[in-house]
Amino acid sequence: MRQPTVYIAAVGIVSGLGSGPVATVHALGSEFIGIGPLSAFSLLHGDLLPVGQVTDVPHTGDLPRTHRLALLAADQAMRHCMTPPDAVIVGTTTGGMDRTEELLRQGVSKGACYRYHGLATVAKLLARRYDCRGPLLTISTACSSGATALAMAMAMIRMGMAKTVLAGGVDALCRLTYFGFHSLQLVDRTGAHPLDIDRCGMSVAEGAAMLLLSADPLGHPLAELTGAGLSCDAYHPTAPRPDGTEAASAIRAALNDAGLGPEEIDYINLHGTGTRENDLAEARAIQTVFSDIPPLSSIKGATGHSLAAAGGIEAVVATLAIDHGFLPANSGLRQVDPLLELAPLTSPVSQSVGNVLSNSFGFGGNNAALIISRPRRKASCSQIGTERDHRLLVLGLAALSGAGDLDAIITALQTGKLAAGRVQSARLATGLDPGRIRRLKRLPRMALSMAAAARNNMNPAGSVQAIFMGTGWGAQGETHDFLHRLFETEERFPSPTDFVGSVHNAPAGQVAMLLGATGANITTSGADASFEQALMTAILNLGVEETGIVLGLDEFHPCLSPLFDPSVAGVSIPADGGGACLVRRWHPGAGAGVTVRLPFFANNSEQAMDDLLAALGDRDHLCSSCGLLMVGIPMASGNEGEQQLAAFIDRLGRKPPIFRYRDFLGEFASSSALAAILAMAILRDDISVPFGHHQRPLAAGSSILVLGLGDTITAMEISRV
Amino acid sequence: MDTLVNELKQKLIDILNLTGIQPEDMDPDAQLVGGTLGIDSIDVLEMVVMVEKDYGVIINSQEMGEKVFASLNSLAAYIREHSSQQRS
Repeated sequence: MRQPTVYIAAVGIVSGLGSGPVATVHALGSEFIGIGPLSAFSLLHGDLLPVGQVTDVPHTGDLPRTHRLALLAADQAMRHCMTPPDAVIVGTTTGGMDRTEELLRQGVSKGACYRYHGLATVAKLLARRYDCRGPLLTISTACSSGATALAMAMAMIRMGMAKTVLAGGVDALCRLTYFGFHSLQLVDRTGAHPLDIDRCGMSVAEGAAMLLLSADPLGHPLAELTGAGLSCDAYHPTAPRPDGTEAASAIRAALNDAGLGPEEIDYINLHGTGTRENDLAEARAIQTVFSDIPPLSSIKGATGHSLAAAGGIEAVVATLAIDHGFLPANSGLRQVDPLLELAPLTSPVSQSVGNVLSNSFGFGGNNAALIISRPRRKASCSQIGTERDHRLLVLGLAALSGAGDLDAIITALQTGKLAAGRVQSARLATGLDPGRIRRLKRLPRMALSMAAAARNNMNPAGSVQAIFMGTGWGAQGETHDFLHRLFETEERFPSPTDFVGSVHNAPAGQVAMLLGATGANITTSGADASFEQALMTAILNLGVEETGIVLGLDEFHPCLSPLFDPSVAGVSIPADGGGACLVRRWHPGAGAGVTVRLPFFANNSEQAMDDLLAALGDRDHLCSSCGLLMVGIPMASGNEGEQQLAAFIDRLGRKPPIFRYRDFLGEFASSSALAAILAMAILRDDISVPFGHHQRPLAAGSSILVLGLGDTITAMEISRV
Repeated sequence: MDTLVNELKQKLIDILNLTGIQPEDMDPDAQLVGGTLGIDSIDVLEMVVMVEKDYGVIINSQEMGEKVFASLNSLAAYIREHSSQQRS
C-alpha cells in the first residue's frame, strides 16, 4: 500500500555556501568551497582549523548563534505560509552552547543569562514566531539529528497528528564541537576531502535547514518526502560499524517505506564526512544495498559537516536537485580512494532527477536514511491516519531516585516519606560490568542501570529493538568536565572521552550496545517535557513487531543544573533520577495489561485547557475513570501551573485525588518519567496508595492521568486494558 | 624496575579509570590496545593528550600511534626518546 503523501512545500537553508536556495544552487553549480579559517570566535593560540562557516549571521536580539541560524532558515521556509504550522521539530546538538561556554568561562552565575542554553529553546523560539501551538519536538541524535527530525515530521503527518510541520536541523560553531572533534583527531587540517585517498577527517561546520512539510500540496510543492529508515549500529560510542550492516538496513527501510526498489534511485547524497572510517563503512553499506550504484556524491567537501544541520541541509539539497534538475559534485575530491570502490561525481551534472537517497549517520551509531522524490502528478489515494488512540502496552518497568529503585520509591510513597534526592553513586553501577562503565559518568550509568533493570523486569522476556530517550539537560557531568578542562588548560588539552560523553544521545548509544538494540535510537530534549517527547517518538516510530524502551532521565550537577534549569535553582533537596518502560504497540488482541497513551501535547495558551479536555474524550467517562491525577508543576512555573490546574478541575467538574509528583520526587526535568513509571506500577501491581481518604488500590477500571503543566502542557493516560 | 613505566601504569589507571586493575597486574610488554585491559581507540586519544600534556611529546598520526601504543614499554621508549630530543 502506498503511504499517504507528505509534500515538501517550501525550504530554507543557510550554510557556508550562502543563504537561501538560490545562493545554494549557484554555489553548488560553480563548485564553490564554503570552508575557510575559523572566525566565529577567537582562539587563545594555535592555528585556525578550516571550518564551514556562515558569514554575516545577523544579530537578532540577544539570541545565541544557533537560534539566529535557525531563524534565517525558518523564515525562508515560512515566507509564503500564512497559517501557523501544527508542529515544529528541530534537530540540534548544541542549542545555545556557543553562548553558554562564553558565560561559563566568564564565570557568570546568573541563571537568567543561560535561558537559551537548552536544546528545546530553538523549537520554542520558532513556535512562538510562527504562532504554533504545538507539539514541539527536539531531536538530538548527533549528526543524524536533522534527518531524524524530518523522519518524525513525516510520521506525524502520515498518522494524522499534524497537517503541516516545520522541521529540520541546526547547529552553530562552538568551542565544544570545534575542540571536541579536534581532540578525536577527526579534523582534516587541509579541509574536508570526502572519499579521497588521502582524506584524514572532516571540517566542523555550522548551518541550518528547515522544511515546511504538508499533507496538502499548498500550491506547487518542490518535492515529496517519500521514505525514512532509522537504525543503530549498537557497536561503538563513536566509530561506525565497519561493514555498514546497520547503515544498509536503514537505507533498505527507507526504500521499503517509499515503496521503491534500489534501481529507482537516481542519486545518492552521501553522509561522506571525509573521515577514513565513515566513508569506508558507508561505501560498504551502499554496496550491500545497490547492485547497480547510481550517481553519488558528498557535499561536505563544500559545506563541511554541520552536525545536526547536515541531515536538513542535505534533504534541502536533494529537494533542489529534483526541482532544478542537477546533481552536485563531490567537492574536495582529488583522487578517489580505490578501497571504497565508488565513482563519485567529479563535477556537477545537469540531469532530470526523480528519487534521491540522502544518508545521515552519527555518534552512538545512529543511522538515518531519507528518500526525497519528485512530486507525483496525482496525490496518493491512501487515507491519512485518523486514529488518535495510539497506545503502547507496558512490558517492564524500572526507576531510580534518591530513594533507590522502583520498589524503594513505592515503599517511600506508602510510608509517607519523600523519594526526592540524588541517586546514590553506588546504585548507578549495580549489576553493570565495571569494564563497560569505567569511562561513563552519571547520566549514562543511570541509563544503563535502568535499562538493565527494565529488561530484568520484562514480562514476557524478549529482546529490545528500539530506544527512545528523553533528557532535559543531557550529560552535564561530561559537558562540564570537558569545558572546565578546556578552559583550565587554555584550550590545549580537551578530553576526547568527555567530548564523546557530552553529546545528548551518548547514554542511548550505550543502552543500544547493552541491549543489542539495532532499531531506531532517538534522543529527545524538551526541558520538562523530555520524557513526553520520547514517548511521542516511540508512538511515531515503533514498528508493529518491535519492542522498545522509553526512558526519561536527568542528572543533578552542582554547577550546571542550578544555572540551566530555573526550577532547580534554589531547591532545598537536589534531586535527579528517571524512569524507563519497555513497550510494544497495543492492539485489541494484545491481551490484558497496562497501557500508556499521550492524548495531549501543546504549548500553553488561553485555550489550552479547553483543548486538553477535548483531547481527553468524554468528560463523564473521564470523571468516573480517572482514579488519580498526578500533576507536575515545575517550580519555575508555579503560579501559571496552579492556575492551569484550577482551570482544569473547574472544567472537569469533579476533583479526583491529586498527587503533586514533584513534591515527592523532587525538581528535575525528567521527573514526569518517574511519575509515569510509578503510575504504571500502581496499576500493574495493584499497589495500595495513600491518596484520597485511606490507603487502598485504585478501583477496578481506574486510570491515572499524569499532567505536566507550565510552559508546555502534556497529558499521559495510563490505564488497564 | 623502569620508573617511567611505573609512572605510566599509574597514570593510565587514573585517566582511563581502569577500576580493579593494580599496577603490578600490567605487563609492560603485553599488547596495550585491544588487549586484556579493554583499552580502545578513545582511550588511545586520551593517552595522546596525556603524553603531550605531561611529557610534551606530540603523537599525531594514526599509524605512528599504533606503534607507540603497542605496549607500555614502547610508549615509555617513545617518550624517553622524544622528550630528550626536545630538551636537546
